[in-house]
Amino acid sequence: MTIHETSAVRGMADHDHLKSRRLRNRIRHEAIQFGVIAIVVALLGLLAYAIKSGLAERGIRFSFSFLANTAGFDISEGWTLASGESFLPDLTLFSPDMTVASAFVTGIFNTAKVSILAIILSTVLGTMLGVGRLSTNWVVRNLCFWIVEFVRNTPLLIQLVFWYFAVVLRFPPMASAAHFYGLIVSQQGVYVPSLSWVGGDSMLSIALATLILVSVVGAIFDPVKGMRRICVAAAVVCFALLFVTGGAELNFPVANKFKASGGTSISPEMAALLLAIVVNSASFIAETVRGAIDALPKSQWEAAASLGLSRRYTVNDIVLPQVFRVVLPSFGNQYISLTKNTALGIAVGYPDLFNIYGTIANQTGHSLEGIIIVMASYLILSWIISTLVYLANRRLNPTGVPR
Amino acid sequence: MIATSIKWTRHNLFGKPFDVVLSLLVIPGLLWLVYSITDWAFASAKWDIVVQSLRVLMIGVFPADQAWRAWTASAIIGAILGAGFGCVFCFKPHHGLVLLLVPALLLIVDGGLTNALPATGIIASTILGWALTSYAPLSRKVLPAAAFTGFIVVVAVMAPPGVGLWGGLLLSVLLTLVTSVLSLPIGILLAFGRQSRLSSLRIISAWYIEVMRSVPLILVVYWIWILMPVLAPQWGLADVARGMIGFTIFYSVYVAEYVRSGLQAVPRAQIEAARSLGMSEFDINRSIVLPQALRVVVAPLVGNVLDIFNSAPLVFIIGLTDFLRAGQMILANPQYGDRTFEVLSFLLVTYFVIGSMITYAARKLEDHMATGTR
Repeated sequence: MTIHETSAVRGMADHDHLKSRRLRNRIRHEAIQFGVIAIVVALLGLLAYAIKSGLAERGIRFSFSFLANTAGFDISEGWTLASGESFLPDLTLFSPDMTVASAFVTGIFNTAKVSILAIILSTVLGTMLGVGRLSTNWVVRNLCFWIVEFVRNTPLLIQLVFWYFAVVLRFPPMASAAHFYGLIVSQQGVYVPSLSWVGGDSMLSIALATLILVSVVGAIFDPVKGMRRICVAAAVVCFALLFVTGGAELNFPVANKFKASGGTSISPEMAALLLAIVVNSASFIAETVRGAIDALPKSQWEAAASLGLSRRYTVNDIVLPQVFRVVLPSFGNQYISLTKNTALGIAVGYPDLFNIYGTIANQTGHSLEGIIIVMASYLILSWIISTLVYLANRRLNPTGVPR
Repeated sequence: MIATSIKWTRHNLFGKPFDVVLSLLVIPGLLWLVYSITDWAFASAKWDIVVQSLRVLMIGVFPADQAWRAWTASAIIGAILGAGFGCVFCFKPHHGLVLLLVPALLLIVDGGLTNALPATGIIASTILGWALTSYAPLSRKVLPAAAFTGFIVVVAVMAPPGVGLWGGLLLSVLLTLVTSVLSLPIGILLAFGRQSRLSSLRIISAWYIEVMRSVPLILVVYWIWILMPVLAPQWGLADVARGMIGFTIFYSVYVAEYVRSGLQAVPRAQIEAARSLGMSEFDINRSIVLPQALRVVVAPLVGNVLDIFNSAPLVFIIGLTDFLRAGQMILANPQYGDRTFEVLSFLLVTYFVIGSMITYAARKLEDHMATGTR
């Protein structure tokens, strides 16, 4: 047997071949990459051109200058930022002589108001419903199951219309409204007692308020282990002192013949929207919680039982803490979809961001510019929620801790 | 018997002090609620409004003399849905009897044939389709082609009086069907795009999905509705078509997320094995990855259909008369101003029945799909 060629040369040839093939592949990859980008850019350009020419045909110019115009329409409720005498903008009630931009701010404010309230309430109600589905009591278990099932299988919009037209608008009129310890429930809205600041500029009140703020922040972030209890106690004591020294007082609503004064009012539209969204999201949250509890190893329950813990302690101290670690990301998704659902407020006339956008689009004709602002606002709201949930998740599930 | 029920009660209702308190609080309240609802439903509610305006609720402002078109279309849709159902659950005679209760009930309540006749036709064709695919498995092979033809026939039958006149529950069903069918291929493409080796495609898909997931559906539908005439004034698209485009654009993103979860569930070894056999990327994705991925996500996708159906009432924003709008239209008549409860509870119960059926189908499908892998 003779060796006709050295293997080294052959290997070199192979190597070169491979190299050139790799190069070819890479060039092809880059070319496709470039092609995709070119197509997308071309499509976007075409879209922009088509919109621009379409708008030009109707005599509308694409610009954001309408934001500085006077709004000229009223919004039934909501606060906005207006530039006052001081450096920081003031928080004032919206009035028709303000700019279109501040109308948008009012919309964002109203959306955020409903969303924050709904997030808090639906988390509480949803957890209760989810735990209720695992109750040892047959009636409670089945009641929770059917509530969740009914709400999940019917459209939120019809629920909202039902809450508004069949429940909230059927509340008694103000003259015969129901009173519960300062809470007034009537057709004209729900009135709750509010805290009001009467301390003025007195040093003592401001110092106490600052202390409360600091201790609440301390209680939430708990910088030193064991400080939470002290912070909570300090907050309660300062709060009591604030009342005693007359820095703050509870403002109870008083019902007149057609209106109530004092306190904080929740308009019927907002009450219906809040009810619908809270009940709806709570059902979805309940389903998540139940799923997470079911997914928990059965040995956890058995271990707790063998230690002689009662069911209440098992649920509160063993099950729920573990469940909350697992479900937080799904809660975040639910919070985002809840915030998006507030856009349905237009069906009952609640002035949320989308509703106000509709009014602005009708009044000014700048519907496309408005869409961009509204989309960006919703995107930012979603990002804020997902960032907060991410931070909370990181705090609850420190990396490296085995589960 | 009594001893068992006492034992059951003691165990399930009064087992622990806390349960006793709960039972004492909840049971009387619940009994009162059930009593007042039953009392209202059977004694004081005037259901005649629902029966009288059933046609408006079902097909909206579709002209009455053309109603046969809508009923024919409903019968075809019923047959397609029934046939699809039959591929998974075998038809049993008692199912048919339960379904036939609907026209029977209508006959008794209405006392005439105006509503009962179309209802009988729709239910009968549903049962036929269901029985056909259950008893003749061969017919499942032609189902996709038959369903496609059926859709075209539905559109052809419904179109002549004017697309703008579509409405009622039929509109919600059509919207749901069109959206779920159209969003599937777009969603699959987006899911592959998000996993692509090309970073540009990946980033674009990811951005599209992220943006669509964080804006409300109502905004997307409204946006497409105002944008379409600006973009393509010469097409003159009807409101219904614009609504369907908006729904498809929005829901394809959710389909993409479900499909992506399915794609991730396919073991990597499968792809490597296919690659070692020398299959091309396209073939791998088409014949190895996608079938296995879709199998996993069939149940969530059916859940997505329920989501689409539940958000169909949102088309009120672009002025379409869907099921909810039709109900509100009836209530707008001052003569019927005090029947809010009757109409709204009818809407809710109808939605609940259909929604529960879809949920049930999704659960069954999940079990059905899981049997092969266990």
